[in-house]
Amino acid sequence: MGVLRERAGAVAFFAAAAAAPLLVRDNFFLDSLVLILMWGALSAAWNVAGGYAGQVSIGHASFFGIGAYAAALVSTRFDQSPWIGMLAGVVVSIAAGAVIGYLSNRLKGPYFALATIAFSQVLLILASRWRGFTSGSEGIPVPYRPGLWTLGLGHFAWAYVALAVAVLFYLVEVWLERSRFGYQLAGVREDEDAAEALGIASRRLKVVAVTLSAALTSVCGTLWAQYIGFVDPFYVFSVDLSIRFALNAIIGGLGSALGPFLGSLLITSLETALRAQFSGVKTGFTGIYLIIYGVVLILVVRFVPEGLTGLAARLRARAARA
Amino acid sequence: MLALEHVTKRFGGLTAVRDVSLTVEAGDLLGIIGPNGAGKTTLFNVIAGYYRPEEGRVRFDGQDVTGRPAHAISRLGLTRTFQIVKPFGNLSVLDNVMIGALTRLPGTREARAEAERVIGVCGLASHAAARARALPLGLRKRLEVARALATRPRLLLLDEVMAGLNPTELGGMIDLVRRLHADGLTLIVIEHVMAAMMSLARRIVMLHHGERLAEGTPREIVSDRRVIDAYLGEEFVLADA
Repeated sequence: MGVLRERAGAVAFFAAAAAAPLLVRDNFFLDSLVLILMWGALSAAWNVAGGYAGQVSIGHASFFGIGAYAAALVSTRFDQSPWIGMLAGVVVSIAAGAVIGYLSNRLKGPYFALATIAFSQVLLILASRWRGFTSGSEGIPVPYRPGLWTLGLGHFAWAYVALAVAVLFYLVEVWLERSRFGYQLAGVREDEDAAEALGIASRRLKVVAVTLSAALTSVCGTLWAQYIGFVDPFYVFSVDLSIRFALNAIIGGLGSALGPFLGSLLITSLETALRAQFSGVKTGFTGIYLIIYGVVLILVVRFVPEGLTGLAARLRARAARA
Repeated sequence: MLALEHVTKRFGGLTAVRDVSLTVEAGDLLGIIGPNGAGKTTLFNVIAGYYRPEEGRVRFDGQDVTGRPAHAISRLGLTRTFQIVKPFGNLSVLDNVMIGALTRLPGTREARAEAERVIGVCGLASHAAARARALPLGLRKRLEVARALATRPRLLLLDEVMAGLNPTELGGMIDLVRRLHADGLTLIVIEHVMAAMMSLARRIVMLHHGERLAEGTPREIVSDRRVIDAYLGEEFVLADA
């Protein structure tokens, strides 16, 4: 019953996201919707490693950046479709993800997290210094060529592309909750030694999970770069971005399928609203959304450490008792 | 079924297990006793693939499994439990056991059915939905056994599953182990509870300072002078007599 109701929440969430563009044709609103879905999907991708496999990475911007650069380079340098670039990004991210996954077998907890940060910073240096190929720190403007094959879309179409990706990633998470692989991964997350005793190849499973997470993140990196139209190495490989992926999932509910999307809904809409509120009013207020962001995080960690989905479960239990 | 040949395991300058050989035949129930630090758990860790021995070989069903990863050894049908229980704390009892069952049964539906059966055998049916970490120690020890059983082992290593149990729980656990053995499972049991050992084990091996000090039937062991001096003490003899 609890499972059914949780899925009902997801159905409501995605149905609302699907209906919204038909009802509101405002570009600012559609932009917010695309961002909510995209950041949600990215946190869902992060959740595969950080939540379900228990490998908390603060370097997932690595894969985001790889996806963003792959598509931008493939379309500008080789004049190919960004979809081909997306595929190239996924291939590179799978290789990079395998490296990070291997690290997860050598380093635990905070040491693993630090190693993932270092990894993303190495990629940042590579991207910002290799002028001949990546245009260095100037970044790469992604040319706008209208059409689905070139991913030159309007806000309305982007909302549905983002929705499709969000639903797909949500289903990957659901699969992780129901499949043999997902159960075994939960065992590895809870206790590796005990999982080994039960015949589970814990190291290989972690590598597979982190690699899957990397590939999904890369797909979103590509889409994001095509949507925004510009790839800046200091943004796409930034620690800020990696933390955002993690925070949305933690605020929403670690290791729950809908959590990352709820986290993104709260944080992204808060951020967009506050930025719109304070931008241009007084320049001194430009960073205020970061403060609010921090306050929300503190409140969540203090009062609902299990995240928004946990809060929902708690409220349901209270309602059932009343 | 299992044969240890001159197994030695060192940690730096400390030799935890020294030149231990033993064999276990199918259908056996071997007890391992010894004071704390005698190397009992280290021996389990070597057998189950958690430690690679410096010297010696471990053979299971004639295959040399020395140095193979733990999960590979478990898949061959040699499963262990942990002295300090390692439940998947945030998962339900049923999910814990199901993860064990999934090793042999790829389908989640079949694995769930198997897990429910095993939970019944181990007397955990009324706790199936409970979070593993919320269980009291006695039930967590049972869960440890249930999860291992779900992998359908042919040889099961039980590491102090009776330690810390109250008399009722202890009786239940002895009963469970006896039933498993009667159903054809081969077991090696590490235990400090001598009363349990006396009634369960067919043979007992005594470890002391990592070495095999004595081996025999429970009767022979409790009257062995070396075992009394090193482990049981005079009082046990008096109480037993």
